Amino acid sequence: MSRPADLVQGTLDMLLLKILALEPLNGFAISQRLGQVSGDVLQVSDGSLYPALHKLENEGWIKAEWRTTENNRRAKFYSLTPLGRRQLEKEARNWQRLAAAISNVVKLEET
Amino acid sequence: MRPANWIYTLPLKLRSLFGRRQMDQELDEELRYHLECKVAAYIAKGMEPKDARRAAPIDLGGVEQTKEACRDQRGLLFFDEIWQDLRYASRMLAMKPGFATIAMLTLAMGIGATTAVFSVVDRVLFRSLPYPHDERLVSFGVKAPFESIEFMLAPEYVVLRAQPGPFESMTSLTPGGADCDITEQNPVRLNCALVESNFLSTLGIYPILGRDFTREDDRPKAPRVALLSYGLWQSRFAGDWKVTGKAITVDGKPVEIIGVLPASFEMPTLGAADMLLPQALDEAALDRNHPQLVLRAFARLQPSVSIAQAAAALQPWFQDSLRFVPPQFRAEVSVKVRSLRDRQVEDSRVGAWVLFGAAIAVLLLACTNVANLLLVRAVSRQRELAVRAALGASRARLLRQALTESLLLAALGGAAGCGLAYMLLRVFISVAPQGMVRLQQASLDVRVLGFCLVVSVISGILFGVAPALAKPAPESLAGKTVRATTRGFLRHTLVAGQIAGSVILLTGAGLLLRSLWKIQSVPMGLETKHVVTAQISLAAYRYPEMPQQIAFYRELEARLRRIPGIGVVALSNSLPPSGSMQATFFASIEVPGRPRPAEGTGGMVGYRMVTPSYFQALGIRIVRGRGFEEEDRRPVENPVIVSEQLAAKLFPNQDPLGKSLRFTTLDSQGPWRTIVGIAANVKNGGLTADADPEFYIPWKGDAEAYIGRGYVTFLSSLDPATVVQWVRSEITGIDPVMPVEFATMDARVGKLTQRPRFDAVLLSLFAGIGVVLAALGIYGVVSFFVSQRTQEIGVRMALGATPTGISRMVLANVARWTVGGVAVGLLGAWVCARLLQSLLFEVRAHDPTLLGAALVILLAVAFLAAFIPARKAARVDPVVALRYE
Repeated sequence: MSRPADLVQGTLDMLLLKILALEPLNGFAISQRLGQVSGDVLQVSDGSLYPALHKLENEGWIKAEWRTTENNRRAKFYSLTPLGRRQLEKEARNWQRLAAAISNVVKLEET
Repeated sequence: MRPANWIYTLPLKLRSLFGRRQMDQELDEELRYHLECKVAAYIAKGMEPKDARRAAPIDLGGVEQTKEACRDQRGLLFFDEIWQDLRYASRMLAMKPGFATIAMLTLAMGIGATTAVFSVVDRVLFRSLPYPHDERLVSFGVKAPFESIEFMLAPEYVVLRAQPGPFESMTSLTPGGADCDITEQNPVRLNCALVESNFLSTLGIYPILGRDFTREDDRPKAPRVALLSYGLWQSRFAGDWKVTGKAITVDGKPVEIIGVLPASFEMPTLGAADMLLPQALDEAALDRNHPQLVLRAFARLQPSVSIAQAAAALQPWFQDSLRFVPPQFRAEVSVKVRSLRDRQVEDSRVGAWVLFGAAIAVLLLACTNVANLLLVRAVSRQRELAVRAALGASRARLLRQALTESLLLAALGGAAGCGLAYMLLRVFISVAPQGMVRLQQASLDVRVLGFCLVVSVISGILFGVAPALAKPAPESLAGKTVRATTRGFLRHTLVAGQIAGSVILLTGAGLLLRSLWKIQSVPMGLETKHVVTAQISLAAYRYPEMPQQIAFYRELEARLRRIPGIGVVALSNSLPPSGSMQATFFASIEVPGRPRPAEGTGGMVGYRMVTPSYFQALGIRIVRGRGFEEEDRRPVENPVIVSEQLAAKLFPNQDPLGKSLRFTTLDSQGPWRTIVGIAANVKNGGLTADADPEFYIPWKGDAEAYIGRGYVTFLSSLDPATVVQWVRSEITGIDPVMPVEFATMDARVGKLTQRPRFDAVLLSLFAGIGVVLAALGIYGVVSFFVSQRTQEIGVRMALGATPTGISRMVLANVARWTVGGVAVGLLGAWVCARLLQSLLFEVRAHDPTLLGAALVILLAVAFLAAFIPARKAARVDPVVALRYE
């Protein structure tokens, strides 16, 4: 399960966990929500969304169950597990440290 | 992985292992739902439905690709990989059925031989005896020259029991209480064992029904009670649960059944016992000065007391008891304490280890062969491995794949081996039913099958590791054959090892075979052809008085004499070989004018009561003087015939004929007897033992001694079956319930060679397999050598090498490591032969002829195995060879 950990890839897990922390959602709804909340800045292709979800489930951070949607269709809904919540906190902290560090670097004035 | 993760991931992993199809369906449905939503969303944005349906899957980057990516995210599980490896391995094996078959058969031979031998020796060497904490059970007693097994005199036993010292508890049984009869309707002869009341509790055995003996039962005049064996309970009482309390008649006396023994129960002496009875020792009547009764004693050691400590702790008692031993015998008696297992297996132990060692050697040879086959195959698969490595397979992954293949092979070989073991075991038992202690009980049970499994796995790893460690060379990607030079050394070493192992096996087998041949050609001193024997035992309850016994034998003799044309008939009270016979100390034989030896027993001298035709019936030569005549049986006559050996011992450098002697038995001083003849020596103590000195006295048919057991010997040119039928009808004419055992003399003598035959046949079998395996190994390696160097050979021939020269080159290569292997093998054989020494009879362990023979055989086989590929090398066509790559 070694995948190149570029920035988007590394943050995608965190984004997904964060979105699912708010409410359980199905795959399509997650993709819609991603677009909404980031103002379409973060374009996550559908092709990479599903493998990411399956990976999170395999890690035990999210769990899936089949529910009926409002228009009466069966869909797979993902929700956060306690383990996933812990993971989210950890990744969020890391992210904040990284973000702060980067913004400090960016703010350095050329002298 | 943290433990908490398991809670969430384990069900998932199990599902992905077992519910693969369902997982795929769910993934399918999930993606379909996504696509529908996406299409709907595009349409809502104003896209044409047709375009929307095209765009949605494109966003996904392809439905199948996404599915694959999702599956990858789940990761291949360990089991998945194993499954994948297994399927791959079986495909690889199926692709080369020839290789697979040879490897499998080779392994089956090794594993089958080892398993079969294990099933035999397990009960001798490893399996615990059927008593709890059997390691603390010992047999103890006094060792004396006239009895091969340690024993206790009853009064001494009682003295020792008062202070058991190193023993938690000690118990005894009365030997010889064997025959007993249930004498109600359906009379039947049984084996009864007379035991002390704490016999079962000392062994740690409880009756499955009813109760154990109590001290009360063991009193001399107590009402008689009995414990039934499981077998007797099933056969005679149909497993009746209400059998306890029933009265049966044993030897004409009423006995109450008080319990039933477990099915697994066996006597510590391994003797048969259908029924246990209290021995009812009359302790008050015992006298240390006049010990009459002999006991076999067993004990349970106190925890953490060793056998040596126990023996030391018995010394004070033993020194005290020596006071009661006649002074001349004191030097020849000693205390003996040994584990129950040692008592049971006695001399089977060495044989068992030798066979087990030989079987393991065969297994190792088989593993070596398969390892070599795999090594050769690994070379032809170098390219494949290199490709797999280049595509990202890690070293560990390749190793696992290779091991999976060899374990699969081992499993197949093991399965076939179990089948082979089953057949081999049947063969072992039929070759020599008495060849090994507990051989009849040997079977392929769970324990043996477990052993087979373990052996298969271990051998799979053994022969799999070397080829698996092969590191694929990057050059082989280019399609070039890379010379396996480094592992060439390994291959040669393996074959050299095989040769060494075969030499050791061959010499061992040769030694045993030669010893067997010597044993079988030992002159017995008697003729076995056309001789049939009948053993008669007079039940004490039916013939309690001497006159009744005498009457029976009179009647028997008269009737047998009336059978027309039966040939020579003789009666005796014991019969060679190896049957028990009466004996006395040499020192107790008195000769006028010869001083009695001051000390020592002088060894044992056997004697038999025989009718005059005994010597003729058994073809025992009368060397000098005469045999017995009918007149010798009159009460006033007291002739004796001595064996050559006894004559030489009694009267060195004198003519023994006409001399007198007399001997004392335990309770009587015999009359003076005149030596009338000298008989040739007869091997009485078995074929390998020295002939014991013995003498013969005439069977008078008067009240000389109780003759419970009598033997009738017939020398007849008639078919043995006819003789048996006639004699049986005559005996039933006198006593319809008299048990008689018939045997031909050939069979009686044949029994003596069963154990050496068993060892020799098995070891020869293993040596044969070993040589075949070594030949296959050499053939394989040389063939490979030739095929690897075809191009080189071509060049050499193009440059003018002759076919003979090429052959010589190949053979020289073989010769180097063959000679090395043989040298190591001879060294090993030299060492191992010592272990065999105790199994050998009149054969020196370091027999140069045999070592030489093994050497010649192995070299010849090696040469033959190498010759075929060498000839092939000589026929290489240079043109073809140069275009080889």
